[in-house]
Amino acid sequence: MIGRIQQLGRYGCDLLEALGRAGIFLGLSSVGVPSREGWHLWLRQMHFVGVLSLAIVLVSGLFIGMVLALQGYTILVDFGAEQALGQMVALSLLRELAPVVSALLFAGRAGSALTAEIGLMKATEQLSSMEMIGVDPLRRVVAPRLWAGFVSLPLLTVGFSVVGIWGGYLVGVEWLGVFNGSYWGNMQESVDFIADIGNGIVKSLVFALVVTWIAVFQGYDLVPTAEGISRATTRTVVYSSLAVLGLDFVLTALMFGELG
Amino acid sequence: MKRSKMMELGVGLFMLAGIAGLIFLGLRVSGLNLAGPGAGDTFQLQANFANVGGLKPRARVTMAGVNVGRVVNIELNTEWYDAQVTLELDDKLEGKLSRDTTASILTSGLLGEQYVGLSVGGDPETLSDGDTIRDTQSALVLEELIQQFVSNMVNE
Amino acid sequence: MDDTPFVVVEGLHFSRGDTDIFRGVDLSIPRGKITAIMGPSGTGKTTLLKLIGGQLVPDAGRVLIDGQNVHGLSRRALFRLRRRMGMLFQSGALFSDLDVYENVAFPLRVHTDLPDAMIRDVVLMKLQAVGLRGARHLMPSELSGGMARRVALARAMALDPELILYDEPFVGQDPISMGVLVQLIKRINEALGLTAIVVSHDIKETLSIADYVYVISDGHVMAQGTPQSLDVDQDARVSQFVHGEPDGPVPFHYPAVDFFTDILSAGANR
Repeated sequence: MIGRIQQLGRYGCDLLEALGRAGIFLGLSSVGVPSREGWHLWLRQMHFVGVLSLAIVLVSGLFIGMVLALQGYTILVDFGAEQALGQMVALSLLRELAPVVSALLFAGRAGSALTAEIGLMKATEQLSSMEMIGVDPLRRVVAPRLWAGFVSLPLLTVGFSVVGIWGGYLVGVEWLGVFNGSYWGNMQESVDFIADIGNGIVKSLVFALVVTWIAVFQGYDLVPTAEGISRATTRTVVYSSLAVLGLDFVLTALMFGELG
Repeated sequence: MKRSKMMELGVGLFMLAGIAGLIFLGLRVSGLNLAGPGAGDTFQLQANFANVGGLKPRARVTMAGVNVGRVVNIELNTEWYDAQVTLELDDKLEGKLSRDTTASILTSGLLGEQYVGLSVGGDPETLSDGDTIRDTQSALVLEELIQQFVSNMVNE
Repeated sequence: MDDTPFVVVEGLHFSRGDTDIFRGVDLSIPRGKITAIMGPSGTGKTTLLKLIGGQLVPDAGRVLIDGQNVHGLSRRALFRLRRRMGMLFQSGALFSDLDVYENVAFPLRVHTDLPDAMIRDVVLMKLQAVGLRGARHLMPSELSGGMARRVALARAMALDPELILYDEPFVGQDPISMGVLVQLIKRINEALGLTAIVVSHDIKETLSIADYVYVISDGHVMAQGTPQSLDVDQDARVSQFVHGEPDGPVPFHYPAVDFFTDILSAGANR
C-alpha cells in the first residue's frame, strides 16, 4: 500500500519534471532572432508540415461537409427547416469540426513525422554534433518546426472550413435541392465574423501550438533508440489528440458558454 | 536550387490560399459587408420589453421582413424591472421612424430564433439616435400561453 | 610551445540513475599531442567526451579547457568555446538533409561571414585532405561507414579547431578504412599541431598513434603512461586489457552465486 502511494508520488514528480522540461524547452526554442537563414529553414518546414498536409486536410474537409449536409438535411426536413442547412453546416464546421478535426489530422500527419524526424536526428547524434559545432539545435532544428506548425495549422483549418462548406453546398443545394439563396442567406445571417470565424481560428492557433509543441518535445526528449522513436511517435499522437479534445471543451466553454 | 524554388512557390501558394479562404469565409459565409452597416453609419434606439423571452444579442431587427439592424445589448432596467434592449439600426432610417413605432419580439417559424420586428405608426414626429420606443410587444412565452388557455377552459 | 595541459579534468564524479559511472577521474591532456583514453566497453568513455564537451554536467569535479571551466560558462560562452573544438562522433553524425559539401560547409556558414568562393576553397581543401573531394555531391545516405567518418572528420576540422575529440573512430571499420583513419588522425595531428583526445578500445590501432594513454575502468583511472610503458606494465588488469586476454581480473562471468549451488537450489525450490 505504502509502496503504491510512493509510486504514485514518484509518478507525479516525474510528470511535473517533464512538464517543467517541456516549458523550458518551449521558452528556449521559441525566442530565436529571425535571420535570413532562419527564414529559409522555416520555409522548408512550412512545406513539410503545411503544404504536404494540405491534401489530407482538404479531402477530409470535403467529406465531412458533405456528410454534415446529408445528416443535417434528414433531421431538419422533419421540422420543415431545411433552409437552415447552410447555417448548421457552417456553424458546426467553423466552431468545432474544422479546428478539431484539422488538429487531429495534423497531429497524425505532421506531428508524428516531426517527432520521428527529430528523434532520428537525436539517435544518429546529429543534434549532439550540432551542439558541438556550436549551433544550438533548439534554434536550428526545433524553432523553425515549431513556428511552421503554429502558422500552418490555422491556414489548414481555414481550408478545411471552406472546402467543408462547399461540400455541404454540393450535397444540400445541388443534390438535395435546398434553395441556393437560403443556403447562403441563412448562413450569412447567423455566422458572425468575430464570434464564429475568429474564435475558430483562435482555437486552431491554440491547438497548433499544443500539437507542435508536443511533437517536437517528444522528438527531442526521447530515448535515442529505434524503440524509443516508435514509442515517442505513438505518444505524440495520443497526447496531442487528448490535449486537443480536452482543450476544445475548455475553449468552447470560454467562448460560447454564455451564448448557449 | 530549382527544387528549393519550387518549394518556396508551394509555400507561397499555400499561404495565399489560406488568406483567400479567410476572405471567402468573411464575405461569403459570415456576410461581412465592407461597405455595409457596421462602421459608423448606424444609430441606436432603446426599447423596453416586459419580457424578452429567448431574444439574444446579435438577433436580427426587421421591418416588413427586411433586415434593418441588429440587437446589440440586453440588460435589466432596475427602475421598472423590465428588459432594456438596445437596437442598432441602419442609418437610412434615422429620422424616418415615427414616434409611435411598435417593436415586437417575433419568432421565425415554429422553433426558429427570435428577432425584433418594427412596424411604423402615424405620428409625424420621428425617433432619432438614443430615443426609446414606447410601444412594445413582449415575446410570447409558451408557458404563459398554456396557462391562459387552461384558465379559459376552466372558466367556460 | 606552451607546455601547460590544454584540458584538465579534476575529481570528476558522474552518475546516471543509481549507477556511478565516474568516481573521481583526473586527467591532464597535453597540448599538441594525441592522448588516448581506453577502457573496456561500458566504462563511459563516450560519456567522458560529452562531459568534456559540456553536453553533460558532472555531479562533482570540473573540466578546464585552456583554463576555462566548461561547466561554469554561460550557454553563450559555452557555444563560443565549442567553436574551438571539433568532435568526431561514432556514427559520423552527418546532417542527413545536407550533402557532403554542405555538411563540411555548415560550421563555416554558421560561424563565419566568408564569401561563398572562400567557403568553397576551404571545403574542397578539407575534403581533399580526407580524400573525398570527388564525393562532394553525395548525400550521407550514399556513403559507406568509413567514408561518412572521413567526411565527419573534414567537418570537424572545418574551423581549424585547437582540440579534436574522437569518439571510437575505429569501431566497426574494415581493415582498409581503419588503416586510412589511423593514418589520417596521425597526419592531421602532425600537420596542424592540434590537441587530440581519442576514445577507443581498439588497442593496437590506438597505441600506434597515441603519445600518452589513460586506461579507465570501474570509474577511475586504472593506469596511465606512454604506449611503451603500458605494454610492459606488470599490473594484471592492465596487462589483461592491453593484451586482450579473455579472462583475468576482469572476469568472464557476470557476478553470480556459485554455479553448482545455483543449479542445485533451482531443483530444491520446485
